Amino acid sequence: MTRLSTRGLTKRFGGLCALDGVELDLDEREILGVIGPNGAGKTTLFSLIAGSIRPTSGDIFLDGERVTGLPAHRRVGAGIVRTHQIVRLFGNLTVLENVVVAAMHARGGATGSARDRAAEVLAFVGLTGRDGHYPGTLTLAGRKRLELARALATGPRVVLLDEVVAGVNPAEALAFAALIRRIRDERGISVILTEHVMPAVMSLSDRVIVLDRGKLIALGTPREVAANPRVITAYLGTAAEEAAP
Amino acid sequence: MTVIPPSIASRRAVVAFAAACVILAILPPVVELSAYAHNLMTLGFLMVAGALAWNWMGGFVGQISFGHAAMFGLGGFVAGRLMLGLHLPAPVCWLGGAIVAGIFALGAHPMLRLRGPYFSIATIGAGEASRLVFTYWERFTGGASGLSLPLDRDLKYQLYWWALAFAALVAAGSVVIRRSSLGLKLLAIKADADAAADVGISATFYQDLIFALSGAVVGLSGGLYASYVSYIEPSDMFGFDRSISFVLMAVIGGIGTSLGPVLGAAVFVLVRTYLVASYPDLYLGIYGVLLIFIILFEPRGLTGVLQRVLRRIRPASGAAPP
Repeated sequence: MTRLSTRGLTKRFGGLCALDGVELDLDEREILGVIGPNGAGKTTLFSLIAGSIRPTSGDIFLDGERVTGLPAHRRVGAGIVRTHQIVRLFGNLTVLENVVVAAMHARGGATGSARDRAAEVLAFVGLTGRDGHYPGTLTLAGRKRLELARALATGPRVVLLDEVVAGVNPAEALAFAALIRRIRDERGISVILTEHVMPAVMSLSDRVIVLDRGKLIALGTPREVAANPRVITAYLGTAAEEAAP
Repeated sequence: MTVIPPSIASRRAVVAFAAACVILAILPPVVELSAYAHNLMTLGFLMVAGALAWNWMGGFVGQISFGHAAMFGLGGFVAGRLMLGLHLPAPVCWLGGAIVAGIFALGAHPMLRLRGPYFSIATIGAGEASRLVFTYWERFTGGASGLSLPLDRDLKYQLYWWALAFAALVAAGSVVIRRSSLGLKLLAIKADADAAADVGISATFYQDLIFALSGAVVGLSGGLYASYVSYIEPSDMFGFDRSISFVLMAVIGGIGTSLGPVLGAAVFVLVRTYLVASYPDLYLGIYGVLLIFIILFEPRGLTGVLQRVLRRIRPASGAAPP
């Protein structure tokens, strides 16, 4: 069943068309990878789905309901939550408080106190025993885990992960991949992720979409997409382009 | 970091707070306070309440307002008009002033889209604009000559306890806000309003709420002040140095804490009285220099100094996580 879909999603910044008529469907319990060269519109797509910015035109549906007009904080209530490429934590709150404040706004049906739910989510992402510490004392991988915990604490149906593996060492990247699979399998959450680290996206994603200059140019399994000539062109350019003055 | 040291957060602090309130409450009859001390302390309590309420916005949400005199003045003049026009009991007038000031504060809604220095600059403009509007609105404020309120010596004497109870309530409210889920949300907004939205917190809603509450409490202190001094004029009530005084009290004491504004207001009132008497032309300049020194050397103000001293005396208690 389709969990999230976009129809004709377009965003213009002045004369620049950052995203041009993107249509995608995210299934329940699916990990969808979004790849594309720098400036392809990946982060714009995320910001639009999370509600941080408004589309110029087009619509976003969550479980068949139109959420296009909802501001970011209401979209969390609807079940869409994001993490950031550059981790954005509340530096003045402890690790536990960072998650508790998110758990307070958990969607209806959640049981137990915000504190209990926060503790559960922290354990899930493997960040126990750090409750009273401040985020600044964690490693980058730790801060990324914390941001993930904070997102999960809101009880989402869809999680948007922007470059969650970027910048962490290979061992930690593997741990993150396992964690993202567990988010799908154990919590039944759909995941959209962008990543520059190709092996990570290709091994994690059930399906991959490719953006280039704001347009969706390919959609399919990782294997299909990797073999797609348009994708290769988008990443590497063509011989003619390279030779052009 | 907004860490409340355990010594302040603990049960012992509650006992100390209650004891301080009781001692202050029985002070006037027991030691027969001089009129001068009585005056200083009553005004001090009102400033404590105002500084604490300012700190909800400036310290908890992190939006520094240089325009709180607008709510102080409005609360005072509405209370005054209610007394003169309708002859209502004083507490009803004060409450009326507080409600109007709170609603007026909601008018800051468009400015609350701004953050940091941009918001602060906007509040300077809004504060000065209200001062001018109320100065020229003679039918309401009496213009530059102000309003004389009925002089009630008994009430003036009793205001010591009204002001004390008011300050104690606001202080208790401050601690409750800080330690509640609301306080956590406010601190999240302070850290990163966009990230707060990403976890479902509407920065707009909570900023409006806190600005209105803060404005209402400052308006209430304006009303009590009006009753106490029994003569109010716009340039004093709405003056820019009154707005600055709220900022100064919180910063001197320690912005973002609940103890800070209390200490700050106490020091401010004492020092101000001395400075105004001795160096009437220089006193704002001296505060400016003081402010720079505090921000440079101890951004957490007197509370920060106190924490350091406590930590030195009892190193073990200072190291424990809150």
